[in-house]
Amino acid sequence: MHSSNRSQRPSAGFVFVTALVGAVLVLTGCTAGSSSSSSSGSSMTVFNGATGTVAENFNPFTPTALQPTFGVIYETLFYYNLTSSEAKPAPQIATDYKWNTDGTQMTVTTRAGVKWSDGTPFSAADVAYTINLINKVPALNTNGINATAQATGPDTVVLQFASTSFVQEANILGNQPIVPEHIWKNIADPTTNINKNPIGTGPYTLKSFDPQSYVLAKNTKYWSSGQPKIDTVRYIALSNADAASAALIAGKVDWMSSYFPGLKQLIGSHKNLAYVNTPANTTELQACTNVSLGCTGAQTDVAVRQAIFYAVDRTQLNNLAESGFGSVGSPTLLLPDRDKSWISDPKNVTSPAKADVAKSESILQAAGYTKGSDGIYEKNGQRVSVTVQVISGYSDYISAVSTMTSELKAAGIELKESQVSVNESSANVTNGNYELSIANFGASVSTNPYYMYWQNYDSSGTAPVGQPSKGDGARYVNPVVDAALKAAAATNDPAVQKQQYALIQTEIVRDMPYISLFVTPTLTEFNTTNVTNWPTNENTYAFPASWKNWDNGIVLRQLEPRK
Amino acid sequence: MRFYVQKLMFYVVALWAALTLNFFIPRWLPGNPVDILIAKLSAKGAVTAATRHALELLLGANSQEPLWKQYLEYLGNLAHGDLGVSVTYFPQTVAQTIAQTLPWTVALIGIATVISFIVGVGLGQLAGWKRGSWLDNAIPVTTMLQAVPYFWLALILLYVFGSLLPWFPLNGGYDVYGATPGFNLDFIGSTIYYGTLPALTIVISSIGGWMLGMRNMMVSTLSEDYILTAEAKGLKPRRIMTAYAARNAMLPSLSGFAISLGFVVAGSIVTEAVFSYPGIGSALLEAVQNNDYALMQGIFLFITLSVLGANLLVDLLYAFIDPRTRSRS
Amino acid sequence: MTPVLAQGPDTVVAATKRAGVRQVLPSMTPKLASGLIIAGLVILFGVIGPLVVGDPNAIGDVGLSGPSGTHILGTTQTGQDVFSQLAYATRGSLIIGFIVGVLAMFFSAFFGIVGAYVGGFLDDLFSLFTNVMLVIPGLPLVIVMSSYVQQKSIYLIAGVLAVTSWAGGARVLRSVTLSLRNRDYVAAAKLSGERTWRIMLVEILPNLVPVMASQFVFAIIFAILGEAGLSFLGLGASGALTWGTMLFYAQNGLALRLGAWWWFIPPGLLIAVFGAALSLINFSIDEIINPKLRDQTRSARKRWTLSEEQLKRVSVEDVP
Repeated sequence: MHSSNRSQRPSAGFVFVTALVGAVLVLTGCTAGSSSSSSSGSSMTVFNGATGTVAENFNPFTPTALQPTFGVIYETLFYYNLTSSEAKPAPQIATDYKWNTDGTQMTVTTRAGVKWSDGTPFSAADVAYTINLINKVPALNTNGINATAQATGPDTVVLQFASTSFVQEANILGNQPIVPEHIWKNIADPTTNINKNPIGTGPYTLKSFDPQSYVLAKNTKYWSSGQPKIDTVRYIALSNADAASAALIAGKVDWMSSYFPGLKQLIGSHKNLAYVNTPANTTELQACTNVSLGCTGAQTDVAVRQAIFYAVDRTQLNNLAESGFGSVGSPTLLLPDRDKSWISDPKNVTSPAKADVAKSESILQAAGYTKGSDGIYEKNGQRVSVTVQVISGYSDYISAVSTMTSELKAAGIELKESQVSVNESSANVTNGNYELSIANFGASVSTNPYYMYWQNYDSSGTAPVGQPSKGDGARYVNPVVDAALKAAAATNDPAVQKQQYALIQTEIVRDMPYISLFVTPTLTEFNTTNVTNWPTNENTYAFPASWKNWDNGIVLRQLEPRK
Repeated sequence: MRFYVQKLMFYVVALWAALTLNFFIPRWLPGNPVDILIAKLSAKGAVTAATRHALELLLGANSQEPLWKQYLEYLGNLAHGDLGVSVTYFPQTVAQTIAQTLPWTVALIGIATVISFIVGVGLGQLAGWKRGSWLDNAIPVTTMLQAVPYFWLALILLYVFGSLLPWFPLNGGYDVYGATPGFNLDFIGSTIYYGTLPALTIVISSIGGWMLGMRNMMVSTLSEDYILTAEAKGLKPRRIMTAYAARNAMLPSLSGFAISLGFVVAGSIVTEAVFSYPGIGSALLEAVQNNDYALMQGIFLFITLSVLGANLLVDLLYAFIDPRTRSRS
Repeated sequence: MTPVLAQGPDTVVAATKRAGVRQVLPSMTPKLASGLIIAGLVILFGVIGPLVVGDPNAIGDVGLSGPSGTHILGTTQTGQDVFSQLAYATRGSLIIGFIVGVLAMFFSAFFGIVGAYVGGFLDDLFSLFTNVMLVIPGLPLVIVMSSYVQQKSIYLIAGVLAVTSWAGGARVLRSVTLSLRNRDYVAAAKLSGERTWRIMLVEILPNLVPVMASQFVFAIIFAILGEAGLSFLGLGASGALTWGTMLFYAQNGLALRLGAWWWFIPPGLLIAVFGAALSLINFSIDEIINPKLRDQTRSARKRWTLSEEQLKRVSVEDVP
């Protein structure tokens, strides 16, 4: 008798959900249409590797400042192009520099006619102010510049050093952002100020900021006339490679530098997507080498390190781990193409492309190792078994290690993998608690090998295992190398430096504290629908990675909207 | 009265235990925030010993104070609402970072949980009442959906509905290209649009639990004497279902709901990683990867407080709604 | 309330025991059967699979390729055989699930039953500890604990997951034990001088078996899903092979976007299928705990073999 109640009213929950769905559909209809930007003029979107939420910070003295601060908003005196073998830097807001004979004084000539983005003229006084500021407040001095400065004219500034300081040149000229005196002298605490309204000399200024994306607008007072041409640049955040690849294919991002396995496949059918590969670093196996400093493991024996060097098949490594984008590196850790002029011995220009198992085994046998019953070499009861640490997010390195495990097994060496987080990896390397670690080094500011060699081979930075090292994580101590580095630092003459580097290279190729594997690719992807004049493989006018400081400004001011 | 005092005492103890654990856990992580920052920086430019020194000065990472002193300072700062400065987002304070990201998480996960609860309990109620209907078959299906790994389902749905059929956006919290944040229709509409797919994945994967629990409770409740009495009295079936059966059956589900609200923040990490959603979960992940003690502690604190708060609320509410619990203890 | 109070305590024990065993075993329904069969197949694959398939870590120059004659489920980005990996991954995940299930069951039984039965200060202490563990947020704790140890093995992950998951079960067991403690047959056993541990083991525990079994199954599902989530975030035992780590590598290799469904779908599908099978088993256990769930379901009605007319009459009479 209650059958009429069968057709009951839907429950409240059901009604609520239907209403919500309806509202969503209506609103999406509204908002989907208004996705075009409200401002007129050309615009582009950049992804520079930012994940998660974005914190507002445009203070160029803090390392956590948003990346466009370095190069797009603030500029350096000169610009070093890491893709070219030309060692001399190009003028930016300075046009000339000169050292005195003993390297204690540098005179810089600044460019005339440069204006800050608020209209105030730029002068040498701003350069002097910046150098003196970082000298006064050590917490701001992330470049380790040890100088005082004085402006001797409207466009001349003289920097004074306590001792011979040729090696500081690259950092001063190419890595130090210059800030306006008239703004910063009024800032109470330069270490914590987030500099909401950055005034710089760079091609763009900040237009609007939001924790998920920020927009830069063209600096109409930029010193290079006719540049930049793109009106607004937007930066966004994406949490992982999958999201980045989706955004790229959907055309939401114009410029990004992410490594995608199978990149060629991904963008194969999309005519408007292009990529460029600009190698800058060398991937190598860093070894804890020094027994007297506390290192343990089979890799402390130089014969084992050399055996590993020859047993690795670099062609297969490149194909499987880097999808063929890498290339064979050099045992000197320099780049075979760009740095050829710095490599003295022609034999050391490239590492062997294929595995040479015979040579690897003969090196071990000559050092007294015999093959055990399990196929692994051993000496005095200790098997040649080494553990290599990899960061667990780096899929290309994980593939590389599993590839190498098979390759080394064929040569009688056992390789074990230990996946760790970024934290643990850097802690282990700094404290020497590792046997092998897969690492990635290269030129940082200038292509002169001095900086990389000093950072990684000079024993002044090292420390015993268990204590933090400032550099030379491999615990390599070689007086010949230390002396050569000192001599190279004392001069400005490339010919003299090259002689010293030759000495260094002989040592490091023989001792191999860092076992060179391959040249790491740096892939950059572009969308050419709206923007042209990107760097290409034939014309790399700048290092094209979207995350690269300083080059980002060079690239952005060259780009043009496609008509 | 004694009951309430007992409850509050427990929560005070639980809070202290959580705060202490919160203080120690980040310190047990290996590594040093300065090292990690330097490792990141070395990819982008020159890193020298001077850089390290400057960073240590800047971030104040080398604390030589004894642990117990740090602990007391930590408790004192908490009382003042000072959660410290974040290393990852330096010089933004932890409180600012949380304030920036928390609303997104609470809105998305909170609303999704509420929808999932309402729909799940509603359907469970019907399934328990209408024995033998098609809803009985829906129960195993939705429960099996709970066994599907959440991120796997979310990634597939994102791929299908974001890339293959571009019905939904691929990432972000709102349309950064078009809408500007503020109290306007564009922005609100955009946030709803961007939150739909993530919310949908949460609802799909959690609705089964609510349905099952509610149905089982309904079935137990329906055998009670007072239901028989109500039917005998001649009350409308619909009224019996809602006012008598569901009201009693819902009690365990309600407590479960309040507890799940407390876990909203903790549960958002995977969702935000898949959808690039700018919430507190992704901030926590960044904090862990950067050894950012202050930020980690701040977020843990929030999670703990919200869980404790939700539990306290449930306990008090339960005591209020169901007098049996009060008398039993 | 059992009507056997009139009989002596010995008969009470005997009656509960005999009836207990028969009562505990579920009746075979299609749901239970399919659950057991599917779960059994997966477990078989995990146990026998690794003994017959090839080396899951052997790289090959073929790169990312689809299912073919030599590779049933295709290969990963470095040419590793997906099917072999799947077999080892099944074993890995099952080990984690089983360890977590056993550990969580042990912890929750200890802190829930013992405390509740003994009562007094011990009960308060255990209950406090359980509740504190319950409110400490699980996932962040797991994240931090698992990033503390260098070489993350599946045993570490299993341990960490067990530590953060036993509290809920303990609470349930405590409340059930509290209600059981006051039953008449327990009072009778106490009066007749039975020792405490014997009462717990013989009187109380058998009645808790269905609840504990259900929790055990739940814990397995939770462990497998939890490990998958952790691995996806890159915080799991990425050196070992589990369903979760397979998905992690597939995601990192952009499997889905490159169209390599054979790498991305199978591990997730196995998790879903195994979890679904366990849920079906759980349903049957639920029906033991609450027999009313067994009757009147649609499938149950089909077994009544009533005619259309009779069925309609039954439906109208009891449902609006």
